[in-house]
Amino acid sequence: MALDSAEPEPKRMKTSNKIEEKLDEYLKNMKSATWNLTPIVEEDLYKPIPVVQASVGIIRDPKDISKTILTLNDKVPMKELQHLKRAQKKEIVICPLSYLNGAKIEEYLENNVKELKEVFEEFKVCDVPSRPPQVRKQFEESNKVWPCNFHPNKYNEKLVSGSFYNEQELKTHRQYMEMVFEVTKFYMKGLTATNIDSDKILRNLNTCVVVDPSIQSVVAVCFDNRLKHPVQHSAMLAIDNVAKTQNGGSWVADREKHETIDSTLRGIDEELCCHLKEKFPQVKFGAKKFKSKRDMSEEELQGNDIGPYLCTGYYIYLLNEPCVMCSMGLVHARAKRVFFCFNNSEFGALKSKVKLQTITALNHHFEAFTGFL
Amino acid sequence: MEEFMHRALQLGGEALQAQEVPVGCVFVVDNKIIAESRNRVNETRNPTRHAEINCIDLVIEYCKSKNLRHDYFQNITVYVTVEPCIMCAAALNNVGVKEVIYGCANDRFGGKTVCDVSKIYSNNYSLSGNLLADEAMALLKLFYKGTNPLAPDPKCKKILKE
Ligand SMILES: [Zn+2]
Ligand SMILES: [Zn+2]
Repeated sequence: MALDSAEPEPKRMKTSNKIEEKLDEYLKNMKSATWNLTPIVEEDLYKPIPVVQASVGIIRDPKDISKTILTLNDKVPMKELQHLKRAQKKEIVICPLSYLNGAKIEEYLENNVKELKEVFEEFKVCDVPSRPPQVRKQFEESNKVWPCNFHPNKYNEKLVSGSFYNEQELKTHRQYMEMVFEVTKFYMKGLTATNIDSDKILRNLNTCVVVDPSIQSVVAVCFDNRLKHPVQHSAMLAIDNVAKTQNGGSWVADREKHETIDSTLRGIDEELCCHLKEKFPQVKFGAKKFKSKRDMSEEELQGNDIGPYLCTGYYIYLLNEPCVMCSMGLVHARAKRVFFCFNNSEFGALKSKVKLQTITALNHHFEAFTGFL
Repeated sequence: MEEFMHRALQLGGEALQAQEVPVGCVFVVDNKIIAESRNRVNETRNPTRHAEINCIDLVIEYCKSKNLRHDYFQNITVYVTVEPCIMCAAALNNVGVKEVIYGCANDRFGGKTVCDVSKIYSNNYSLSGNLLADEAMALLKLFYKGTNPLAPDPKCKKILKE
């Protein structure tokens, strides 16, 4: 917009604010949120099911229906369309249209199922659902196209219900996400930027809080260090901090001091921990005491389960959708659930660019949730 | 080229002896190895301590000590015995190495085979594989015949019986 030179310049003061104020604004909005969190699932679970064309024959004599179905199941099994009921009244799916390879259905029957040549009085091409319905809503829609088999799955229904978490659970998750914002504020204290800049700055870093839900306790907290070390994104630091609570870890600045700290608290910087305890007096901090075959004698281990193991069972809370590196790191670490606030449209690997949690070839799959704001 | 992969394989062998997944890696600048490492996941109890990440760490320290900027990574050719996993492929993109040459493909976690990371990043390094692939694969097979001593994963035992 071109400003008339006679107009006074817009006040600069207005556009300049502290990143803390920006974060406070988000915090306020998050606290007043009334909606549920959104599970990030594969599209197949909620998108309408596409159709494919199939060759359908209309039976001359209804008495032949069951025999015809048996013969077809035997001679023309439809691997990709097993979710279809083969018959709908007198109409019977013979095969996907693609099986015909351009030939006429009469020729196809002649060549493949001679015995059924005469049972149909007419043929037509019908749309049928191309994939099995995974949730009831898809089932109902699919049935309008062609009758389908359906195996209801409670968990899938919960994922698409829009009410995955109950009120108490939502309160807990929002509280840990508030902690993510509080940690970000702690490290960005005093930083001034314009509104546009502050969003940009906040998208180019990340903050990570790791929680062990089995003991409702914060295990590790990390702020980003990617400007100084391109691999030290907060999730990668957090994975290492979890390792520190398990007698491991590789990014240790001061080994000697490190050894003096109670191992259950090695995942959280001391000064930060004090600050967070003040801000969140109701929250517990520290990992479960680590027990390992490697470090303990048989007697010490007696009656004790070994573990924790990596991030197994842990919940990960992040300011931004983790990048490809961090997301795969969290797969390697076997995290149970990952929560994030803002999308990472450039490199996000749980929602924006790819959904690693839905790649079946991988050996571990966590659940991902967003929708805090 | 082969001599660098031979060194990476040696490091992979060291990993195997230490009961780690046997993957080794060297970073090369001007025909000289400037960083080398192997998998240290069990040792550090950090599942992200793959050979490539360890090498990146070494280079960052080197840059710090020599007052070099991180664009030093642009000179680096990476030799790694197994195709970098999705995490390492992304990390190598983040730091911006010039080239990655690997031994055998990685069907379980590969940053090309399982999920093509190069589609997400714009400034890609060149990637090629199949250099001394049989040797790299032989190391992996030796490992998966045994068990991972730290994972309480019953699947490992299954593999033993097969
Ligand atoms: Zn990241
Ligand atoms: Zn890797």
